[in-house]
Amino acid sequence: MTKIIVVLAFFAVLVVYAFSLYNKLVGLKVSVDEAFAQIEVQLKRRSDLIPNLVETVKGYAAHESATFEKVVQARAAATSASSVGSVASADGMLTQALRGLLAVAENYPDLKASANFLSLQEELATTENRVGFARQYYNDNVRALNSAIVTIPTKFFAGMAKVSAREFYEVDDPQDRKAPKVSF
Amino acid sequence: MVNFRSAQQANRRKTVFLLVGMGALSWLVAFAALTYFGGTTAAIVPLAVGFALFSVWGSYYSADKLVMLMTGAKIIEESDNPKLFALVQEMTLASGLPMPKVAVVADKAPNAFATGRNADHAVIAFTTGILDIMDRDELQGVIAHELAHVANRDTLVSAVAATTAGAIAILSDMLIRMMWFGGGKRDSNSNSNSNPIALALSLAVLILAPLAALLLKAAISRRREALADATAVDFTRNPTGLRRALEALAADTTVVKRRSNAVAHIWIESPLDTSSTSKLFETHPPLAQRIAALRAMEGI
Repeated sequence: MTKIIVVLAFFAVLVVYAFSLYNKLVGLKVSVDEAFAQIEVQLKRRSDLIPNLVETVKGYAAHESATFEKVVQARAAATSASSVGSVASADGMLTQALRGLLAVAENYPDLKASANFLSLQEELATTENRVGFARQYYNDNVRALNSAIVTIPTKFFAGMAKVSAREFYEVDDPQDRKAPKVSF
Repeated sequence: MVNFRSAQQANRRKTVFLLVGMGALSWLVAFAALTYFGGTTAAIVPLAVGFALFSVWGSYYSADKLVMLMTGAKIIEESDNPKLFALVQEMTLASGLPMPKVAVVADKAPNAFATGRNADHAVIAFTTGILDIMDRDELQGVIAHELAHVANRDTLVSAVAATTAGAIAILSDMLIRMMWFGGGKRDSNSNSNSNPIALALSLAVLILAPLAALLLKAAISRRREALADATAVDFTRNPTGLRRALEALAADTTVVKRRSNAVAHIWIESPLDTSSTSKLFETHPPLAQRIAALRAMEGI
């Protein structure tokens, strides 16, 4: 009799353990989705700042139309992207276009001194930070999920929990790619 | 170069080790009590534990309100300090935590703390002094350190440590009192199976245990501070900001006015006079040591 109880208890513990592994995987997947949604929220926030910024710069530098065009196009691309890869590459393009816009602004002292521009610039800077931290959090979560999928024991439950490895959010920014200078 | 992840792991492991030590110590005290007084005292153990639970967990559940009251912190709104809120929001994005309540303590001494029983009840507070002297990166490091305490559930960890230390203190206090009043009873009850060495050892345990519990409690608190520094770097990926902030705190000699032993452990820099007490009772590792750990993460 006691033998049967011991065996049953052993299996009960095993089942509870299996459930916890399954739940861990599902939890990780949900965190990744949430983290990605947070990136999109922050990108939307940045996107909403752009029309205002473009108008302000136009007021002082109307003839730099090529730069404006680039920003507007990049913004449109960013708004329509949905998968991780396309959102990330559109994000990179927009970041670059905005950098171009701010570089143009450097040549117009009146613009640089205007209160409106300064507050927009400040807002844009904090939003860039937020996007950056949201990306970092997303990538941390992807890292946790991806390593759970390939490591034992969670590995055995990945199929059952219907979770698969996710894509890292990598921004294609030529400035980041530059090899760091090494001096001896 | 030291990685923040390995630093986090090491500190978590050491906390577990210390908490196990705390558990072993309580067991030792209970054992010593039984040896010294015999089986009749067994009832005192649950009594002491129950009393400690009752006194500590009340304050755990109202940690946010209690600490705010003791430090004089006032909750502020986003419109009161939009820049500080923007920084806190950045750090909630980096940590995945919900937005905490933000409070300010009107005090020139630069310092900050976090409290609240869980992430949903978290409050992070800053003195007006720290908001004045720190630049963006430094303040970001400080906010990350405070949110790290929230993420690591340090209010819970310190409540567990305080409960055990409290139970041990109550227990040995009760037993030592019993010794004065009812020492004679022991002889008639359990003289047959007690040898003098065991009795002497038990007595030593009962007298030294509260002290050992305090040392363990302080060691746990120091571990959690070091862990919060490592977790802060996990959030900001910028050890330089927090390192510069700690250097600024080290350079500053003013201390918070409304300081008390009860809440000393929650501040980012200990507000107590550190020169008079031994390092072993400190709730915080020395600033120099924390700065060195961050420098190691910077790889310089």
